[in-house]
Amino acid sequence: MAPELYNPASQRLVEALAAKLRRRQVLGSRETALETALVLRQVVSKARFTNIHQLVEIIRDVGRKLVEAQPKEHTVGNTVRKLLHHVREEYNNASKGTVASSSNVFSISKFVLQGQPRKQVTTQKTESALVLREDDPDDPDSFARTLKPVLMEAIQVILDELETVYENIARSAKDHIHSDEIILTVGKSHTVETYLISAAHYHNFTVIVAESGPTYGGHDMARSLSAAGISTFLVPDSSIYALMSRVNKVILGAHAVLANGGMYAITGSLLAATAGRAHSTPVVVCAGQFKLTPLWNLYHEYGALDFADPSSVLGFEDGDLVDTVDVVNPYYDYVRPDLVDVYVTNDGDHPPPSIYRLIKESYDDEDNEL
Amino acid sequence: MTKAERRELQERQRAAKAAKTAAGPAAGTPTVNVKGGGGGKLAQPSTPASPAPKKGGTSQGAAQAKALAAAVVTGPAKGAKDAKAAAGVGEDIVGSRGLRIFSHFALQKTAGHVAKGDVHPAIVRLGLMFAEFKVCGANARCIATLSVFKQVIQDYVTPQHNTLSRHLNTHLSVQISHLVSARPMSVTMGNAIRQLKLEISGSDIDLPEQDAKDELCHKIDNYIRDRIIIADQVIQETAMKKIHDGDVVLTYARSSVVEQVLLEAWSEGTQFSVYVVDSRPMLEGKRLLSVLAAASIPCTYLLLPALGSVITEISTVFVGAHSIHSNGAVYSRAGTALVAMMAKQHSVPVVVCCETYKFSEGVQLDSFTKNELAPLGDRFSSFPLTRPRESLTLQNRPNLEILNPLYDLTPPSSITAVVTEVGVIPPDSISSIPLALGRQMI
Repeated sequence: MAPELYNPASQRLVEALAAKLRRRQVLGSRETALETALVLRQVVSKARFTNIHQLVEIIRDVGRKLVEAQPKEHTVGNTVRKLLHHVREEYNNASKGTVASSSNVFSISKFVLQGQPRKQVTTQKTESALVLREDDPDDPDSFARTLKPVLMEAIQVILDELETVYENIARSAKDHIHSDEIILTVGKSHTVETYLISAAHYHNFTVIVAESGPTYGGHDMARSLSAAGISTFLVPDSSIYALMSRVNKVILGAHAVLANGGMYAITGSLLAATAGRAHSTPVVVCAGQFKLTPLWNLYHEYGALDFADPSSVLGFEDGDLVDTVDVVNPYYDYVRPDLVDVYVTNDGDHPPPSIYRLIKESYDDEDNEL
Repeated sequence: MTKAERRELQERQRAAKAAKTAAGPAAGTPTVNVKGGGGGKLAQPSTPASPAPKKGGTSQGAAQAKALAAAVVTGPAKGAKDAKAAAGVGEDIVGSRGLRIFSHFALQKTAGHVAKGDVHPAIVRLGLMFAEFKVCGANARCIATLSVFKQVIQDYVTPQHNTLSRHLNTHLSVQISHLVSARPMSVTMGNAIRQLKLEISGSDIDLPEQDAKDELCHKIDNYIRDRIIIADQVIQETAMKKIHDGDVVLTYARSSVVEQVLLEAWSEGTQFSVYVVDSRPMLEGKRLLSVLAAASIPCTYLLLPALGSVITEISTVFVGAHSIHSNGAVYSRAGTALVAMMAKQHSVPVVVCCETYKFSEGVQLDSFTKNELAPLGDRFSSFPLTRPRESLTLQNRPNLEILNPLYDLTPPSSITAVVTEVGVIPPDSISSIPLALGRQMI
């Protein structure tokens, strides 16, 4: 809607990112979130708006375009939702700061509706100085001019969070992993990698990495873990069950954490989590808060209904087979909430049933559908 | 491995052996540490190459050893280096820095297994085929072993002052230990060999030697026919009835019995489709897939991690077994336990096709107490060509070990039924089968 509200340069940026997402040139939840935040910063800094509704509409429009380009990269939508949440927060603080503060009164209904007010993400120091004049006919830019610095700050907060997310998640690593433990992980996850390496500063433990075909990301993971001095075993996916009886903990990464406490993760995660449950081995999932997605899994079968290139499973070197055989190569598994014991986030550890509260805190309900 | 490569390996082993025997007299001890590099001692040209390799060497081997020994005299370093290289491969794997819980897994000894004692050439050949996984699978290995044993028995001559029923067993033990040094014995082989030894010791002492040998060979033929081939046919007919029109059958890796069941059911006109699940390190499912696709059965191929996405569509899971324990636990190709677990969770029946001669007495509690490792590296594992080889880790590095367990143990709780030639039985009742068959049969 109202594409004239943001200028052609921004539009081009949005289109470029949408194309990259569609072609999967930008992959991975953190990469996409970062790119989205950067584009949003450009768009907001160039945008012309005279009231809050126009601003929200501009951001939503960008979000809608990007999400449509790649609905499976949930962090794109999450970043947009987070920004919208910040925008409203800033606006409310500035326009009726006193009303906002009075809403800190606790009540059960408010608790259920909004989730526990854990902490104010944004600083409150400058807001009182702002005087917002919406739809001022004399000076139409005044609203944008006063709000933009605060908005830039909000986007910077989002970017900073993305920059430091791994370190913040890894802070609790030494409490979760102890000496001489055997940890199993699947494939390559940057979050898990940082987590394990940070724990290795304090304890000696062993990591078993399942290589996770057909991407075989476990090879990269095993290499970087062993380079960090962690005793590492690289195993094929088939031996997850065989080794599980000796594993103390399963640590997985996530692609997106859903509102019901389930998650999308790289294929093979479901096998590891189920095998862990069968052996009563705790399953720990490391995920940044930006992966929290206010969605419910509608497609229980076929993972996230997203398929990768079949040639990595059955290549053209098996030429005569290619014509006659179907090949399935899904990107992600859906892991049910009851298979996960804890989500380790950059905002502390949470059990799957309380994920919805985090989501309520991070985003506004009206943005669930962009 | 091509013929040329295998030949090269043999040559190298012979060279190592020649170096050992040549070094023997010079060092004064029969067991010289070859990799210790006794180069200086070997250089003494006065040492004659006369002590030909022990009686184990064939005449061709002896001649070659002589030639090589001569070569050793001129260039001693090379021979020692070759031997060192051969030993180094083994050392790399054996010198595991990692956890001790993995240390007992049977380790590959592809290089460096040298025939000790009076080993029949056919056994040496079979040993190499085992070590190279050219003959692979419980049934195939058992049949191959028994067929070669027939040859061994026919070529056997009872020494003087001895009887066949007493001496043949010791002769066979040498052959068996050679095979075991190539690759740990399968349960099927163990059962068959136990039966064979029983037959040998029970053979009539007054029978002429040739008649006794013929009778033994006949018994071996009967064993293969009754316990494996006919058994498989009965299992096929029974298991076939579990496949109905419109079913979606899932199978993991490749089992010769399951393959026959599916082909038979298809040729009977049952309309069904097959999901072939596969995984490294062996990727055996691809072979099954090509067989099924050639029979124009509609197939879907996927790797094990994708299993969670398709399991809801499956009607029945059919898997084979390496062996089955008396508590009903199935010891099979690594990954079977995962498939069975997922199927059980989604209330999909898991049917194991297994002949009774695969029953193994005793109970194994997890996949750790007994397992084997698949060979390291690229040779047996086809990684997709879309992924560059350099980006893969194919060798052990500091702090990094590659571990490819070959088997895992499926607990009886995730198995619905076991199809044997004596009927379809629940896993809990496995222990009663040997009793029902008469214990000496197993």
